[in-house]
Amino acid sequence: MVREGVKRGGSGRTFLLISLLPAILILGGFILLFFWGFYQSLTDMRFGRASVDFEGFGNYARLFGRGRFWDSVSTTTIYAFTAVACEAVLGLAIAKLFNTRTLLAKWCRPVILLPLVLPPLSVALMWTTMMNPETGVLNYFLSFIGINNFGWISKADTAMFAVVFIDVWTFTPFFVLIIFAGLRGISPEIIEAGRMNGAKAWGLFLKIELPMVLPYIILAALFRLIDSLNQFDIIFGTTQGGPGNATNVLSISAYFTAFQNLQFGRGAAIMIVNWFIVLISALVMVKLWRYTRKRVS
Amino acid sequence: MKQHTVALALAAGTLITTNVLAEDFDWRKFEGTEITWAYDIHPYADAVVAYLDEFEELTGIKVSPELYPDDTYWGKLNIQLSSGSPDWDVVGTGVQPAWDVTPAGQLTPLRAFIEDPSMTNPEFDYEDFFPALRRAWTWNVEEENIIDTPDGEIWAIPHAFENVQLMYRTDILDRLGVEPPGTLPDLTAACLQITKADPSITPMAVRGVRFWSSIHTAPISIARSYGVSDFVGSGDDLDTGLDSADSIRFHKDYVEMIQACAPDSWANDNWYQVVDGLSSGKTAMAMDANMFGFWNNIKGASEASGKIAFAPPLTAPGNAEFASNIFIWSLAINAASEKKGAAWYFTQWATSKEMNVRGATDGKLVNSPRTSTWQDQAWIDYAKQPEFNNFYDTFNTVQPKISLLFTPRYGFAIAMNAWAVAMQDMVGGDDVQERLSELADDIREELE
Repeated sequence: MVREGVKRGGSGRTFLLISLLPAILILGGFILLFFWGFYQSLTDMRFGRASVDFEGFGNYARLFGRGRFWDSVSTTTIYAFTAVACEAVLGLAIAKLFNTRTLLAKWCRPVILLPLVLPPLSVALMWTTMMNPETGVLNYFLSFIGINNFGWISKADTAMFAVVFIDVWTFTPFFVLIIFAGLRGISPEIIEAGRMNGAKAWGLFLKIELPMVLPYIILAALFRLIDSLNQFDIIFGTTQGGPGNATNVLSISAYFTAFQNLQFGRGAAIMIVNWFIVLISALVMVKLWRYTRKRVS
Repeated sequence: MKQHTVALALAAGTLITTNVLAEDFDWRKFEGTEITWAYDIHPYADAVVAYLDEFEELTGIKVSPELYPDDTYWGKLNIQLSSGSPDWDVVGTGVQPAWDVTPAGQLTPLRAFIEDPSMTNPEFDYEDFFPALRRAWTWNVEEENIIDTPDGEIWAIPHAFENVQLMYRTDILDRLGVEPPGTLPDLTAACLQITKADPSITPMAVRGVRFWSSIHTAPISIARSYGVSDFVGSGDDLDTGLDSADSIRFHKDYVEMIQACAPDSWANDNWYQVVDGLSSGKTAMAMDANMFGFWNNIKGASEASGKIAFAPPLTAPGNAEFASNIFIWSLAINAASEKKGAAWYFTQWATSKEMNVRGATDGKLVNSPRTSTWQDQAWIDYAKQPEFNNFYDTFNTVQPKISLLFTPRYGFAIAMNAWAVAMQDMVGGDDVQERLSELADDIREELE
């Protein structure tokens, strides 16, 4: 009996291992690629040059010593945190609207997902046309309220606003979707109990609904923050990081360095720094999510 | 009289010998081979694709064209060459991108093919290509550096080329009573005149995106007239020339021009926006590659047909000497190709005298890189049709002054992309002198 049991256990383990093998291989592939990228960042790899020399942390030292690199770090964080904060606030407001039985909510629900299903590069091209300072439809509308020749993506002082605006338009529905699910999950009894205790609509929202959907908001923010810190399509499709370096986030800077200036080693180093920023931000968000979830439970 | 007779006899003799040799040339040497030719989706590719059947019939070599959109092609080309893939045998490229790939031996040197009578049809006549184009494709590679020398290796064969000219809408300038400008400050004054007369017209369009492609049209051509070079000195002493007094003078005038003339979308404008403005009549003038004006002048091609005229590039005030930069679309052979013989056969056929005249008179291969095309009556008759305005004559005026105005060197893209970004900053309001000084420091640090 014991021998049979061991046998069954052994074949079960083998089956389990074979079943997991594809997943392990894929995961291993990802990890290998990451380490390959990290190795590249420690070399002077350049396109068109046959020899590759190991330079240790030379690429990083060069980057950290340059003001433009820190400008890119700052641009990346400003872009990502502003976009995500705006999306969270707007997403919450729209989700709250969707949680009502108004006609507006009924009409808007099917439409809201539209930006999410569009490819980001198409979104970028669409907004590039609309944001053209001379021929774009946005400035035509702005002219009715006395604003003429707003620069949008063409001027350094408005470009960041413009790309954040596009990000918010595209990804707010993601927040709406998740927060709406959170709001629907709140037990009506809790709301009713609040009402019985004399809470008005605003009070119910602040004291009951908001704390209860906060883990959902933070979860959505976590995913969006990871994506926004790595944002490439929207920015490349509109400003390409300009004018000047006004929207030159790390991913754009890495692309230019690697594929335009052909310095692959340096480009890889920029991406590793970007990855590190994403990692730290994600860890903080996960900690925050755990804390809020604990409070709710 | 006797001398003339002798000369005629010699010429006839040479012609007969060449024809006999041409007939002797074995076009079927690589019969049965299949090669892949990669290129940008472009009228230049169409000019060749239209006659591929004839090449296959002549040589028995099957050519598979792989054509990609412009944005995709150059990235894919980099990857194909650097990975050592033999998939592409013949590739379309330009001189500037080749500066970055030849140091690693990713292109096949062609001089040995050109000088081998068993591999090159005697009618090919390499000397027929404009000297500036041949010169631009000639350099040596030593220890991963570009050594610019007229006796060096030849890395590709010119297929067609762009030269930078001022193009303007005759209907708009005539209506507003504006003369085509000659100098950069003249242009700024003309723009102010246009804006005052008709604010709905954008006076001037030039590329403004933050890539070196913005620099290689108007800025580098006009800057040379101010005495500016991207690099000065030679060898190990090669240093950026972008913080010189001439450069500061040029940039001040250029920035002022952009602020007075260009659309607000300038920083996002690439060649297609520039051309669209001119062809749609939104823009009065543009400084870019001349063939865009030519193509839009073709009967029925656009609303602008017959309305675009040409002038030499703008100059510095007080200097009548203009300079026109070139971009040479060329055919090169991948060093990793396993069918280099067949690839060379295709390259010499696609860039032959006959194919150049055909492509040009089809209205596609403009500007032809061969002197013989520009003397060919069929092409002269075609290019001198009224709808092309002064295209042919302006080309002949500009042609002696064309040259590649960038300095051949590895790392070209790093410096020129940085220049394009700095230009956006200066137009955006940065102090010209300070920003140029910062740019020069960046370039020195990057290329040290």
